Amino acid sequence: MLDLLEKCISRVKEGFVEMRGQSRRVFSVRVKDGRIDRLMHGLNEGACSRILIDGSWGFSSTTIINEKGISKIIEDAEALARSSKPAKRRRVEIAVIEPHIDYYESEMKRDPRSEDLEFLVKEALEVDKETREYSKSIASTSIGFSIVDDELYYVNSDGARIKQRIVRCFGDAFVIARSEGKIASAYESRGRQGGLEIFRETPIRDAALEAAERAVRIAPKRVVPGGLYDVVLENRIVGLLAHEAVGHTAEADLVYGGSYLSNKIGRKVASEMITLVDDGRLPSGFGTMKYDDEGVPTEKTIIIERGVVRGFMHSRETARQFGVSPTGNARAWSFEYDPIIRMRNTYIEPGDWTLEELIEDVKDGYFLRGDGGGEADFNGEFMFTVQEAVKIENGELKESYRGAAISGNAFEVLNKVKGVGRDFYMLIGMCGKEQPNYVGLGGPSLRTELLIGGQ
Amino acid sequence: MESLIDSVEFAVREAERLGVTEAEAFSQRQRIIEIFLERGEIQSERVKNRQGIGIRVIKDKRLGFAFASTLNREVIRNTCRDASKLADVSPKNPEWRSLPYPKSIPPAPEGLYDEDLASLTPDEALKMTMEGYEAVKNFDPRVSIDDGKLSLSATEVAISNSHGIDLESRGTAISFYLVCIARENGEASSLSYEYDLSRTLRGFSTERIGETAARKALISLGARKIESFRGEVILSPDVAADVLFGPVVSSINADNVQRGRSLWADKIGLEVADRRLTLIDDGLLPYGIGSSQFDAEGVPSQRTVVIENGVLRSFLYDSYTANKANRESTGNAARGSYSSLPSISISNLLVEPGTKSPDDLISEVDNGIIINRFSGNVEFESGDFSGIAKQACYIRNGEVKFPLKETMISGNAFESLKRIIEVGSDRRVTMSGVYTPSILIGEVNIVSK
Repeated sequence: MLDLLEKCISRVKEGFVEMRGQSRRVFSVRVKDGRIDRLMHGLNEGACSRILIDGSWGFSSTTIINEKGISKIIEDAEALARSSKPAKRRRVEIAVIEPHIDYYESEMKRDPRSEDLEFLVKEALEVDKETREYSKSIASTSIGFSIVDDELYYVNSDGARIKQRIVRCFGDAFVIARSEGKIASAYESRGRQGGLEIFRETPIRDAALEAAERAVRIAPKRVVPGGLYDVVLENRIVGLLAHEAVGHTAEADLVYGGSYLSNKIGRKVASEMITLVDDGRLPSGFGTMKYDDEGVPTEKTIIIERGVVRGFMHSRETARQFGVSPTGNARAWSFEYDPIIRMRNTYIEPGDWTLEELIEDVKDGYFLRGDGGGEADFNGEFMFTVQEAVKIENGELKESYRGAAISGNAFEVLNKVKGVGRDFYMLIGMCGKEQPNYVGLGGPSLRTELLIGGQ
Repeated sequence: MESLIDSVEFAVREAERLGVTEAEAFSQRQRIIEIFLERGEIQSERVKNRQGIGIRVIKDKRLGFAFASTLNREVIRNTCRDASKLADVSPKNPEWRSLPYPKSIPPAPEGLYDEDLASLTPDEALKMTMEGYEAVKNFDPRVSIDDGKLSLSATEVAISNSHGIDLESRGTAISFYLVCIARENGEASSLSYEYDLSRTLRGFSTERIGETAARKALISLGARKIESFRGEVILSPDVAADVLFGPVVSSINADNVQRGRSLWADKIGLEVADRRLTLIDDGLLPYGIGSSQFDAEGVPSQRTVVIENGVLRSFLYDSYTANKANRESTGNAARGSYSSLPSISISNLLVEPGTKSPDDLISEVDNGIIINRFSGNVEFESGDFSGIAKQACYIRNGEVKFPLKETMISGNAFESLKRIIEVGSDRRVTMSGVYTPSILIGEVNIVSK
């Protein structure tokens, strides 16, 4: 693939050209309530070319990987770059980077390509059965296993030539329990970058039983009473906060569009206990790549250091715009998309408090557990759902409630942090911003204050 | 492999050599051009050329599926092997009967393929987008574009199975939408939305879409509040398609019926809507956005009466659900792409239009509102809807009085179907494939925020 792309690129006479190739093998199985809901092997291969002529980009992609197919997308991209020029207000320029020639592969003990994957079907059926048998209250189960094996190729007219093989193994469990006429759901996931060993080291069975246990436990419970409370946020929720409510406001395209962090470099926006990074090189991170989809080496980008804003996430285009170095955050979901600024592995660095220490000073509050997803605005305002709230009274955990929505401004919440735990945990996620992508999100549990929108 | 039909025939033969009971292959080749407008400027453009094959095999009632985006012999052979291996480990589905058998295929409806559209260059597509953009700018300086997208595709498909189905067809489609906002004296209008979908270039005008989007944005300037009340509501075609017919589409899907997810499961022959409502799924509609000669399993497309004068007549079936119900498929199997298994979908769901224009409908309203856009929640299974009526106006004594500030509406689609007061004459295609006119319904909760 690299040779073919290089051969074709050499024919382009004008402008900056980059070409990406991809071969994605997918295996996925999902069992719902004891029945196979989805089961497939897939192969998606293709290439794209992106050409910058006179400050205007053109983009074209194909699944036909031969000289004819590739030549066609070069022609199309060139034509688009030229004809769209008059319609574009901004003249694009990109930061200069050194062209790299390199190969990277996810660290793996058991390469999924050298084994039959069908054993996972049996495993999914077994996990589903075990989950349904966990309790009579289980009303519905959904268990999924996935393997996504990507080969990524990058060449550009400056001489870059990069091949990366990135393998992700992951799975999840969604469980609904019914008790005393009320229903509750719980969700857990496991996975990371690497080979089939992941399914042994962090079994999906654990995720399923954890979800089942929680769903059954909270189904008969009342919804947590609403109000402003001292809370301990479980590490899984802190990951969501780091990514969704803070991370997006540090993506340079959104900073440019006027997000909360624009014009705040060097300013204090969170407690001194908070350091937040987006790390492209986290070992086996779900969003880890050695190079981004513009051929820029990734790095550990510090967004907030001890409460102070240090930097943003950039593509080559925004790096030039902001007068800084690109950070390796330009990512594309597939060869059918142009790269845009995306997070990789976003997390809050751990502190040194134990969970007991975080809880022991809370007089009247809640320990909020389980990430139920949520949304945030570019001004830091967020609304998340937590699966469970455990009452804390005079430093002791008491009865458990069904979770509710929590809301606030992420920067206010991070300003009010009183303690940061040592129980660091990385979640896997799928983030959507015009196009989806795999990301890691994480952090430790921490103590703060926020609004619970219960009853 | 250059020819799609060769690729699917080859795949079925290869799969059969592996000892499967039945095999089916579906190939697709597409050329797509997409132009995105954002914050009032061309943001990006993409040209995509894609093709691929999806292979479904059945071994003794066990199903396997695999797909690939490359159509050479070696890849197709591997894909057959992958599908067959998955069938080996799948549990038996005792309800599986068979893939469909060939039937005579009707002649292709007119207007599904337009050579001019298929050969449109990215350049010309950009020009069309800019015409829409200019139309907004020239219409009124108070209006600007929030976002928009032009999308066009030329698609070829081929399908083959072990029972002798061997079919190919091609089609084209174009769509364009614009979201606009008007600003005046520090006031911003609610976002207006206008679009069109077509199989051919003839009659498709981005300029007209731009003008209409701009006009709609201007109409909602000077919005006022009203007290909450329960009254009549005119749903524009878009809103009717989402709010009323979203739950209908879900309830007439035979798969939902068989899984116990349709409130209409036992309502065939019974009245489910006002007698003014007649609903037909017409897969053979000339120029229809969802028309085809045959569906994604190779079953001939047809015209199915779903609701006749308020009485539920039929559900929509693919071959699996039809076998289960001991009847014929209605030719409603669809695939998003070669990478997915077929599932049930409407083709063109046609609401029989009435005789009254939107102005006539307005003149019949004593106390109510007209809604041009809806943003909220519609629960397909229960039919409950609640959300914000956008681009809405207050109607009193048969006259439009003033545009409304964001107002909430809530109700239930299945109940509203029985409270249809009038079906309008202004039928148009909507983004969901439902062709509906404006519909006047009674007794909706209208809540001022």
